[in-house]
Amino acid sequence: LVGAVLFVALLAGMTAVSAEGQKEPSTFDVGDTQDIDSMSPLIGVTVPAYEAWTIQYATLTDKAASDFHTIPGLAKSWTSSPDKRTWTYKLRPNMKWSDGKPLTSEDVAWTVNTAREEEWLNHSSVVGNLTATAPDPETVVIKSSVDDPKLPTMDAYILPKHIWEPLGAKGRAKYDGLDGVGSGPFTLEKFEKGQFARFKANPNYYGGRPAVDKVVLRFYNNPDAMVAALKTGELDAAEDVPGQAFKSLQGSSDIQTIAGYQGAMSELGINGGDGLKKPHPALLDKRVRVAIAHAIDKDAIVDRVLAGIGKPAHTLSTSPDPAWTPEIPEDQLYEFDLDKAKQILDDAGYKDTDGDGIREMPGGGQPLNFRYGVRTEGDAGAPTYELISGWLKEIGIATTRKVYDDSQLTVVIGKGDYDMYSWGWTPFVDPDPMLSYFTCDQIASDPEDPTNYYNDANYCDPEYDKLYAQQKVELDHEKRLEIVHEMLTRFQESAVYDVLYTYPDNQAYRKNRFTGWTRQPAETGPVLFSNSSPTYAKLKPVSASAASDDGGSSSAGIIVIVVLAIAAIGGGILLVRRRRTVYERE
Amino acid sequence: VSARFVTAKVLGSLVTLAFVVVFNFFLFRIVESDPVASMFRGRNLTQTQRAELTKQFGLDGSQWDQFVSYLQQTASFNLGRSYQTNQPVADEIWDAAGPTIALVGVSSVLSAVLGTMLGVAAAWRRRTKADYSITSFTMATYSMPDFWLGMLLLVAFAVGLEWFPVGGITDPNADATGLAHIADQAKHMFLPALTLTVAYLGEYTIIMRSSLLDTMREDYLVLARAKGLRDVLVRNRHAVPNALLPVVALMAINFGFVLSGAIAVEAIFSWPGLGLATYQALVGPDLPMLQGLFLVFSASVIFFNLVADLLYGYLDPRVRTT
Repeated sequence: LVGAVLFVALLAGMTAVSAEGQKEPSTFDVGDTQDIDSMSPLIGVTVPAYEAWTIQYATLTDKAASDFHTIPGLAKSWTSSPDKRTWTYKLRPNMKWSDGKPLTSEDVAWTVNTAREEEWLNHSSVVGNLTATAPDPETVVIKSSVDDPKLPTMDAYILPKHIWEPLGAKGRAKYDGLDGVGSGPFTLEKFEKGQFARFKANPNYYGGRPAVDKVVLRFYNNPDAMVAALKTGELDAAEDVPGQAFKSLQGSSDIQTIAGYQGAMSELGINGGDGLKKPHPALLDKRVRVAIAHAIDKDAIVDRVLAGIGKPAHTLSTSPDPAWTPEIPEDQLYEFDLDKAKQILDDAGYKDTDGDGIREMPGGGQPLNFRYGVRTEGDAGAPTYELISGWLKEIGIATTRKVYDDSQLTVVIGKGDYDMYSWGWTPFVDPDPMLSYFTCDQIASDPEDPTNYYNDANYCDPEYDKLYAQQKVELDHEKRLEIVHEMLTRFQESAVYDVLYTYPDNQAYRKNRFTGWTRQPAETGPVLFSNSSPTYAKLKPVSASAASDDGGSSSAGIIVIVVLAIAAIGGGILLVRRRRTVYERE
Repeated sequence: VSARFVTAKVLGSLVTLAFVVVFNFFLFRIVESDPVASMFRGRNLTQTQRAELTKQFGLDGSQWDQFVSYLQQTASFNLGRSYQTNQPVADEIWDAAGPTIALVGVSSVLSAVLGTMLGVAAAWRRRTKADYSITSFTMATYSMPDFWLGMLLLVAFAVGLEWFPVGGITDPNADATGLAHIADQAKHMFLPALTLTVAYLGEYTIIMRSSLLDTMREDYLVLARAKGLRDVLVRNRHAVPNALLPVVALMAINFGFVLSGAIAVEAIFSWPGLGLATYQALVGPDLPMLQGLFLVFSASVIFFNLVADLLYGYLDPRVRTT
């Protein structure tokens, strides 16, 4: 008992000592529910890892907060050859890395070329077709081997050659990236895996030293605890706030909520039948797919699955920039109408001939019972299935639930061993990757290697492919926009991919600590964890006097703890004394 | 304790461990899955990148090849590389073991000591108000799910009163050293340790209480009293030591779970230990990490069961002969 009492007392006493440390006003604390997996851009894949690199490594060109258009980054200007395959970038003069070493075109060229040769995980989609040369310290020439509409945008993290080159290819592949040398507004100071990553202001940042001294990305496994930390002021901002908590914060006077859309979407995918295995034969009939589309109430899904925080959608979301998403013509939308859905199935000859409530194939026989893949990841899979299977039942279609985790569902889809599933995508800024997933050659065709493909609709439309090839080399932005709109409108019409909704990143921040919050894209996007996260460099602390309004309750807490500790120690001593007297009397 | 008894017990443990090693491999490979494809979905990997990642994840070759190399690696304490961090699993487990041993170790000791003392008190004053209140309190906390108790404490002391931080193990802005650093960690550990201590008190209390009640019927206690010994001495010298046997066994077995015992509580308080690592590996799913964690957890349970067996054999001669 004495030990226990002393332990409690010790803890309590220490609490009293350490609670004195008040928070620096210019430290910006952000909470997130996911951890940085690696600080090396050659290894990491999680969202907070990207955020960390975005903070630490500047790119050759930056993206405007308002609409992602290309703006100067490390490069202040650029020009192109007439065929737009060779671009010459002029760097800002006299730039330095955070450790004081000069940042020159050598760093840029080395990063581009080495990333291409070694196929770095997070660089190869940008630099795969590029070769860079450095004719002088402030000039980089980049040549593309193909027509590339992404250029002049160069959003690959430029790494300090003097740190990364000496490691060698093998060393780089295993390097932990904790050197903290960067060119962005903040550079890594301390990384405790599973806990936090702390960054300090970079005095050599080309945009000038940021007004905030430190940025801390903190990891919370328990999202409710994270929200609690935001409420108590331990955090200044939180990313990935759960839906219900987000709604409750909306009423708070000192916390601002941000539903930041970045194009993330969720869909009901149907096996279109062009893959390794055919689905249920009824699904090859477009009329059945259209009936299914009419049986889905997207508003209800948004309301009940997302607690209302999301927007019903109709076709692929290919970019966080909403300009790429076309307006689907009114008469082409499959509005929620169960009677219409039933009518379509009746007209097409799918009737319930045996009276069990489930329709059969025309002429009787195989009932309309579809295998529906439900994901274990995330919170949306199960309730989405419950709603959709309920509506389908009303129009006489049965579903069999199949539960998978993502790595299993990937195999199932690749093999074509499914009828339908719900899953989602988050697009890159350029629409090309998302568009590419639905071309015919992305349908799994090698039974030995079915997961080497992305077309999870198993749907092939040669006209879509033709348009895809056109947009890929169309260098005129307006014309490309038009082609993409046409592709997405065609895709929606096929009814193989019922895009259900787009959903935001739920973020929240305390209003009284910092100003300078910047949404990307403007008005709809998030303030943090956006594509180029411009907020960090722009944050300014609100004057200290206004910010320090808490602290009273914690000092009251210390007093209570001290009293408790004294009582516990006193009690312990009494007990020990009493016991001693007992033994002495023996 | 005879050498034969010890040898038999040790061999039994080794067989169990070997079974776990083999079972572990197949447990995570029953369902066909492709972690490379799902983790890098939509990333347009080149074929070289794909092949490299597949190799890195130990997924190249046939399942038999994978099994053989898994056995070889495990025998040399190489548990593979984590999918999520690309760091050796053994290192990741080692890093996370410290916080877990600190948290669960402290609370296991506390709950064993406090729980046993409460059990003694309850049995000695059986059917009094003290007995009833101790029994109902510990039964209530024992039947409470630990994550729920943790959430309650979190809401009350971290959110409501703001006495303690809501999670983590250190204050990222403090950079404290020495005593202040220990104080900072202790402050972070208080709530999770309290949760675990309170949640597991009941087990010890109930077992100690019933064991002591059995002992109290023994003739030698009557004799001890008849000698005129004080009640406290009868209890501490004659009754408690004999009643402690089942508690010792329980402690040994529970210590086997020290490493794995706090998944829910670590997850709630974002305590960067093995429980949290397990949770994250499950969410991944990060197969090598899960495999490594399961192996370590099983090995620790097997080891402490062996300790319990041997200890029991030492403490209670009747066990050895049966």
